[in-house]
Amino acid sequence: MEQLTRVYFCCSPNKRSGSTTTARLLIDYFLSRGRGAVGFDTDPHDPDFAKRFPSAVKVVDTAKIYGQIDMFDRLLVHDETPKVVDVHHRRYDSLFDTIGQIGFMEEAQGAMVQPVALFHVDASPDSLNAASALVKRWPSLRLVVVRNKGAAPRGPDARDILDQFPHAERLSIGAIDWPTWKAFDAQDFSLPDVLKAPPANLSIGALIGLRAWVTPIFRQFQLFEMGLSMENSRFL
Amino acid sequence: MKPTVILVGADKGGVGKTTVARAVADYLIGKNITLRAFDTESPRGTLKRFYGDITETVDIGSTADQMRILDTLNTAQVAVSLIDTRAGALAQTLRVLRDIGFLDAVREGQFNFILMHVLGASIASLEEIAETAPFVANGHYFLVKNYVNETTFFEWDPETYMSFFSKSRSADEVSIPKLSEMAYEQVDIAGTPFSTFVANKTADGRSAAHSFVLRGYVRTWQRKIADEFDRIGLIELVTEAPDRS
Repeated sequence: MEQLTRVYFCCSPNKRSGSTTTARLLIDYFLSRGRGAVGFDTDPHDPDFAKRFPSAVKVVDTAKIYGQIDMFDRLLVHDETPKVVDVHHRRYDSLFDTIGQIGFMEEAQGAMVQPVALFHVDASPDSLNAASALVKRWPSLRLVVVRNKGAAPRGPDARDILDQFPHAERLSIGAIDWPTWKAFDAQDFSLPDVLKAPPANLSIGALIGLRAWVTPIFRQFQLFEMGLSMENSRFL
Repeated sequence: MKPTVILVGADKGGVGKTTVARAVADYLIGKNITLRAFDTESPRGTLKRFYGDITETVDIGSTADQMRILDTLNTAQVAVSLIDTRAGALAQTLRVLRDIGFLDAVREGQFNFILMHVLGASIASLEEIAETAPFVANGHYFLVKNYVNETTFFEWDPETYMSFFSKSRSADEVSIPKLSEMAYEQVDIAGTPFSTFVANKTADGRSAAHSFVLRGYVRTWQRKIADEFDRIGLIELVTEAPDRS
């Protein structure tokens, strides 16, 4: 096996930043390309991410050592299957604290596993501080700033604050209109299925809206993956 | 370098003496200090389970075993002799060391003597400090607070705390941090030194399948202990040159 196995931590210290949406979209992206993916939902009380993908996503309580073993031991398996962790905002601090305590970043490097933090920004100072703290603690961590235009609330100083986030690498999740969101948010909704064979009860407007929303997001995922693969290629 | 005896003990049981002895052994071996160990939990010592190759089980009350430890200090070709005393045997062991003249030899600079006195969470345990300190007047006395057992050592009551800890001004304190119970138990089940567990090996050197998370917790715990031993200059103490006077 030549490629690295990637672990995506969809995270934010604040609620309503869109990290679960990104986690869902990532799994959808891999499944729609016929690739396997494994996910972990760190909200044991209301595991919205896991409910969407019962066969691919496992609920873990990272406050307990059994949950940590369930998740981190699996994340370190180099099998080229991408892993997606939806970090619940209440678990943000403790999860990264555990990562530090068990030496996950260092071990990942030796195990051909590449952690990627998809940090979901909002315009609050603690969001900026949390992102800066991650970069300071793990300078080699791949940190991607994700802005969900439909989720994170914006204030008058939003632009100034967002410009201060570390790293130039950015992903943008566009805003979504209400009927499209309603379709996407339905419990039985499966994006790969809908894109392949739209169900009769889905309005044309919602389908067009979904395609228009998802296409640029998947293109960014694809470009990001290609960029990582080229960087890690030993022949380039 | 003069031979060093490190005695790990407490009169109270269940305070984690063997854990501390294992941590000391791991640290010294990791620093390439040659070591042999004696387990006074005769006939079946716990330390021997983890360091079978270098550990002998001895009865500190037996003259023959006292000779095995002390008469060979100069000839054993090891820098450190580590003695893990069984519960309740610290005072007895110190009296033995005094009566056979070992403590005099320490005063004369022939040997280094380090006492790691592991404290428990009771007044009785803290009262041992005043009784023990005179035996280590010429050695190095460390009060070990073993937080593996989540003990507080009366730190919440400054008056009680100071009344015991200020009695021995010559003693330095060493803290052994808390380790996840599950990680501790897994190392126990593995029956290997902590470092071997972290390296994901079995006792006979084969690859093991220990949880990464548990190994990570043990690794971090070991680092913190190493920082403590570095802070007190343990390596400098055990590599001290003999007195020329």
